[in-house]
Amino acid sequence: MANSNLPRRIIKETQRLLSEPAPGISASPSEDNMRYFNVMILGPTQSPYEGGVFKLELFLPEEYPMAAPKVRFLTKIYHPNIDKLGRICLDILKDKWSPALQIRTVLLSIQALLSAPNPDDPLSENIAKHWKSNEAEAVETAKEWTRLYASGV
Amino acid sequence: MDSDAILSSSEDMHDANDVESDEEGFYSDENEVASDYNTDDDDVDDYVIEEDEDGINMIQARRPENNYIVLKELDIKERQEDDITSVSSVLSISRAASTILLRYYNWNVSEVHEAWFADEEKVRKTVGLLPGTVVQFAKPRELMCGICFEAFPRSRLKSADCGHPFCFECWEGYIRTSINDGPGCLMLRCPDPSCGAAVGQDMINIFACDDDRCKYSKYLLRSFVEDNKKTKWCPAPGCEHAVNYVGDNENYDVSCLCSYDFCWNCTEETHRPVDCNTVRLWILKNSAESENMNWILANSKPCPKCKRPIEKNQGCMHMTCSPACKFEFCWLCLGAWSDHGERTGGFYACNRYEAAKQEGVYDEAERRREMAKNSLERYTHYYERWASNQLSRQKALVDLHQMQTVNMEKLSEIQCQPESQLKFLSDAWQQIVECRRVLKWTYAYGYYLTEHENAKKQFFEYLQGEAESGLERLHQCAEKELLPFLNADGPSREFIEFHTKLAGLTAVTKSYFENLVRALENHLSDVGCHQAGSLATSSKNGTSKGKGGRGKETSRAGGSSRN
Ligand SMILES: [Zn+2]
Ligand SMILES: [Zn+2]
Ligand SMILES: [Zn+2]
Ligand SMILES: [Zn+2]
Ligand SMILES: [Zn+2]
Ligand SMILES: [Zn+2]
Repeated sequence: MANSNLPRRIIKETQRLLSEPAPGISASPSEDNMRYFNVMILGPTQSPYEGGVFKLELFLPEEYPMAAPKVRFLTKIYHPNIDKLGRICLDILKDKWSPALQIRTVLLSIQALLSAPNPDDPLSENIAKHWKSNEAEAVETAKEWTRLYASGV
Repeated sequence: MDSDAILSSSEDMHDANDVESDEEGFYSDENEVASDYNTDDDDVDDYVIEEDEDGINMIQARRPENNYIVLKELDIKERQEDDITSVSSVLSISRAASTILLRYYNWNVSEVHEAWFADEEKVRKTVGLLPGTVVQFAKPRELMCGICFEAFPRSRLKSADCGHPFCFECWEGYIRTSINDGPGCLMLRCPDPSCGAAVGQDMINIFACDDDRCKYSKYLLRSFVEDNKKTKWCPAPGCEHAVNYVGDNENYDVSCLCSYDFCWNCTEETHRPVDCNTVRLWILKNSAESENMNWILANSKPCPKCKRPIEKNQGCMHMTCSPACKFEFCWLCLGAWSDHGERTGGFYACNRYEAAKQEGVYDEAERRREMAKNSLERYTHYYERWASNQLSRQKALVDLHQMQTVNMEKLSEIQCQPESQLKFLSDAWQQIVECRRVLKWTYAYGYYLTEHENAKKQFFEYLQGEAESGLERLHQCAEKELLPFLNADGPSREFIEFHTKLAGLTAVTKSYFENLVRALENHLSDVGCHQAGSLATSSKNGTSKGKGGRGKETSRAGGSSRN
């Protein structure tokens, strides 16, 4: 199996993710593929996502850590940097990736992105427009979506 | 073949005789243009073609060889090495650091010096050259690699100037990934995301495999050419030379060692005397209209008289239908060839869109009507001439090559003359190739001359028409009239006459094109600067001077239209 020659680094990261989870984040490897992680991120307090539980999937490609992990939201979310397929616009997942970064740092960055949406570097053109033209209303929609899709069921 | 048709007018005769004439002869030819012009007394009286003592040498004089330097791969490497060495010794830094600096400042040595001596600390920070180790580690003999999280003895770890330790294997992986990601590897930084220390060629050389080291050097070389504001690759496919532009005037014509001529500024093929912007607009226009214009490039058209399809397999535009019909017509306008040139008393007008339109040429075919509907008619006129001259030039290049590699030798045997005596043949073909190029671009120029510049337009079209008609005569002579001599059994006296005629047409065509080029480079500024009277004065002088310059030679040239 692919898991048999899993790099030491992945094993260490996994152990640490399980033994000292970052607050508001849980990540556990799938049973049949140690490179595939089921992730949950709690909506940060004081953000429109507060109270929501967001599911993500994270996959470590063969080249990891030389290449970035692949991450995507499975839970629907109203956010200018996340598109309807759940893909995330985050620099460290692209050109700013460095092998010295880890799964933990990636997930913390995603959590931070929920606290601070950046409509100037959008992935969803429409949501970003909404955010810039009427932030209060956009935040209401985000809260509504959180209630509808991320209520932790 | 058609030699009589070409040299039958009196103008042509002394044109041809300028061949071996002295300087005065050339002057007479220059004035000839003006006096020809004067005979068409109608709508274009206001301009004059200035006499210019240096006119004949104009084209050469404006193309100083030292405007540019062609660099082969080894030259590029050598220059790059020299620059790296010089910065490294002036700033007392390593060669790897010097390379990083130079790349950041687009390989501009003086900019590196300036920035460095203005604020070394700031420069170091920007490019990631740290003055010393940032991370200090206390005692432990073993450290953890920041990528694979394994512990290693210090001797098995390596770091950039910053001191962040990574094991050899992780460095190898990091560097391999970066090099295979593309030229961004030239800006590689320490893997630690908070660090930013540059990772230079010294580290690459330690950890990259031979293949990747080679790739890295290639990127470095490419950067030296592409990031340098004064250097560009030759755009010819497969050519690996670069051209370093050192001129400070606006003459960007360069000629690569691979023999491709191009404009250094816009990297299109040489387009003098038309400026880069016109060329850019024209090329954009062509690609926008390409679907509509495909039919123009078709190689066959119906004979305007008998409707049989005639294929164009020669460079000049003078077509002769099959033996049954023998109708001679112009490929471009489908008009009778006899209407072309000065024979009819009018001047050459095939180049003029307005003239073609008046004669209803564009009303005949249904296709043309459709074009008119789409307001493409005017463009079609110019595009067809641009494209036809392009094709004609390509054909002429092949013919020139054939002449230089096969025909000159063959002729030398048949005519019992040393090849050195036959240089007039390759001269003629070289002139044809160059003139087709110039003529082609003047059609892009013509397209963008606006209606309100009517005076300029008429002057331009007059010069263009003269040049074009001269070129057609030259091209036809070089292409068709040579054939009998190539197939002859032995020397003939007619060959000497042919020599005289072809060399004459070459010289005449050259000066017509020089006039045209000069006028366009001056943006037709002669127009309007001269009083109407000056034309008469100048041409009067010219005529008398010209007459003096002729004489005996005229009769010789007259004899060459052998009948
Ligand atoms: Zn570092
Ligand atoms: Zn390592
Ligand atoms: Zn070249
Ligand atoms: Zn140009
Ligand atoms: Zn015919
Ligand atoms: Zn014509």
